Amino acid sequence: MHKSWMKRQSRLGYLFIGPNMIGVLLFFIIPAVYSFYLMFTDYKFMSPETHFVGLDNIRRMMNDDLFGVALRNTFVFLLAVPVSMGLAFIVAVALNKSVYWQKTLRALYFMPYITSGVAIAFVWMLLFQPTSGPINGFLRGIGIANPPGWLSTTEWSMYAIDIIWIWFMLGYNMIIYLAALQEIPEELVEAARIDGARPWQTIRHVIWPLVSPTTFLLLITGLIMTIKNFGIIQAITQGGPGNSTTVLSLFIYQNAFRYYEMGYAAAISWALFAIIMIFTVLQWIGQKRWVHY
Amino acid sequence: MRIKKGLTGFIVGALMLGLLAGCVGKNETNGGDNGGGAAAGKVKLTMWGAVPPENGPQEVVDTWNAEHPDIQVEYVRFVNDDDGNLKLDTALSTGQNVDLYVNYTLTNLDKRIKGGTALDLGEFTDYNIDEKMGEDAASWKVDGKYYGMPTKKNAAFFALNMKALDQAGLSVPTAWTWDEAREYALKLKSAGFKYGLVQHTASYVDPLDSVLVKNGYVKADGTSNLDDPLVTKWLETLNGMMKEDATTPPLGEQLTSKMPVENMFLGGESAMINIGEWLIRSSNNMTEFPRDWKIAFAPVPRLAAQEADMVKSGGLGDFIAINSKSKNKEAAWEFLKWYADGGMMPMAAGGRLPSSNAVDQQTAIDHLLGDYADSYDKESLEFVLYGDKTPTFVRSIAQEVIDLRAQEYEKFFLDNQTAEVTVQNMVKRHNDWLKQNQ
Repeated sequence: MHKSWMKRQSRLGYLFIGPNMIGVLLFFIIPAVYSFYLMFTDYKFMSPETHFVGLDNIRRMMNDDLFGVALRNTFVFLLAVPVSMGLAFIVAVALNKSVYWQKTLRALYFMPYITSGVAIAFVWMLLFQPTSGPINGFLRGIGIANPPGWLSTTEWSMYAIDIIWIWFMLGYNMIIYLAALQEIPEELVEAARIDGARPWQTIRHVIWPLVSPTTFLLLITGLIMTIKNFGIIQAITQGGPGNSTTVLSLFIYQNAFRYYEMGYAAAISWALFAIIMIFTVLQWIGQKRWVHY
Repeated sequence: MRIKKGLTGFIVGALMLGLLAGCVGKNETNGGDNGGGAAAGKVKLTMWGAVPPENGPQEVVDTWNAEHPDIQVEYVRFVNDDDGNLKLDTALSTGQNVDLYVNYTLTNLDKRIKGGTALDLGEFTDYNIDEKMGEDAASWKVDGKYYGMPTKKNAAFFALNMKALDQAGLSVPTAWTWDEAREYALKLKSAGFKYGLVQHTASYVDPLDSVLVKNGYVKADGTSNLDDPLVTKWLETLNGMMKEDATTPPLGEQLTSKMPVENMFLGGESAMINIGEWLIRSSNNMTEFPRDWKIAFAPVPRLAAQEADMVKSGGLGDFIAINSKSKNKEAAWEFLKWYADGGMMPMAAGGRLPSSNAVDQQTAIDHLLGDYADSYDKESLEFVLYGDKTPTFVRSIAQEVIDLRAQEYEKFFLDNQTAEVTVQNMVKRHNDWLKQNQ
């Protein structure tokens, strides 16, 4: 009697998760497995014939200069994550105390995160305009005679994208840090103060270790989110000028949906997957050294 | 217990119902496509194109639908970019409702033919495309066959500020070189313009393709011909105009700020623009771009020294194919003939001149210029549209090659590499691509 009730219970449970599981199966697991198969074929979208080509795509990727360029750009793009987190931590600490305009400031910092990516792209394109844009206007104003060309030069374009991305992620990182800061027991900060710790020492030795699980979470999700993102770059530079802002995810998009080279794109996707995997595993191993639960 | 049982039953039931509804719904739509429609004596066609409905297509199909109650056409718009073309290709290869669709490049058409979604129009014998459209149509042939019908006359040209030309004492050229164009740009700039020349990105590489169509993209031995001396000539001429003369905007700046070149020309910031017939869409819009001067037209300058060596961008466009999986091919064909032979006229106002000789030139120009005919130099317009007998081409190279070329010349214009290295890189990457796509 009890057993059959359990059975029915679990059947009902499966029924509830069913729709979602079907979605995961149809839109995630099957495509993933299929893309693994595609990696070994020369499948081109719209082309009638597909052949098994073994490791050709992987070999091609290894010999493709552009893959190297995209890889390097991806790592430059990833620099934005720690920088954005660092800034977010500072802002969060500042806004955790009662300061003037606290609520307004919090909202302002969070604003980019809820704004449409395309709108952001256009505003930043105007700001970065090399000759008449306000950023270079400001730089000239403080005495820099030859400010960078930002998006219109191959040397600076990737860093310009980094700046946009730092700004974009700042609000999200800040909100999560704020939540973590609110969790810190007041007594610990109080105790540090009584022991004569200066504000900086309190932050360094009390607050920072206490929010390290949050730092870890933000680092992992931030890196994954960044490595996968291409929308903002597609909207601003389409990977240019030259190929100075082509990151791996954009490179996949171009091969798959511009050139219809699905087999090759699948191979690059799996390379990207491998990179994300390695990053994540390394962090899980590394966390023991600096994350305090 | 009872409640739970009931709940399970309810959910299962709901799911089943949903599935059934899905099936029924599908059957209904299928029926509507073929059998059901035929029974009612009505055929429904779907045409996919990239022009916004309000810029002509809606008026075109409305006119047709009013005249042909038995064949109703619905216009679906896709945006002519990567995402939009992907949407169309997906619809084509998964058998959604597409009866007719417009191809804007040979590159895209080629994919669709290989995918078996373009009907060989050779099976219809009552319309001679070569005769109706002239010899330019042949550049759209693939393996000697028409997998669609080109319907529009492409026009690439320099539009010039006539008032500025007159003041500087310059004549409207009917054939010229880039060196001469550079001189023009200098003189016009000194007459008080910010730039002598701005270029639309779609027209940017036309001079390169002119050279390579004439001399071949690939050499006789099967390697890349992107190191043709005229490629270097193009790079250095434009670079000089950007940096020495400052008569044209630096490319990096133009790309990343998505410079609105049409507005700059119409707003009097630039005296010349390298563009195509779609300029008329903006230049006829006097409320947004008021101007008190006439626009004159000149052919795009050539890099080659000899006039006889010139092949210009142009030919025909808006290549409309019939989906080979369409259930109403005959009806689609009827509509297509009507469209090409003048049905498309409402689109002329947006710059789409019909290419069929069934359409009177004068009528087409009247439609094109609308109420503002007086604000154009009609003589030079007629010359670039109909008078210039220079052979034309339609760009047919693969997207990969267009992109790799652009990436390398962008690096050159941004001073990352010399012209020599740029050409070497283009050749190397083109050769790699040729090997990959043997």
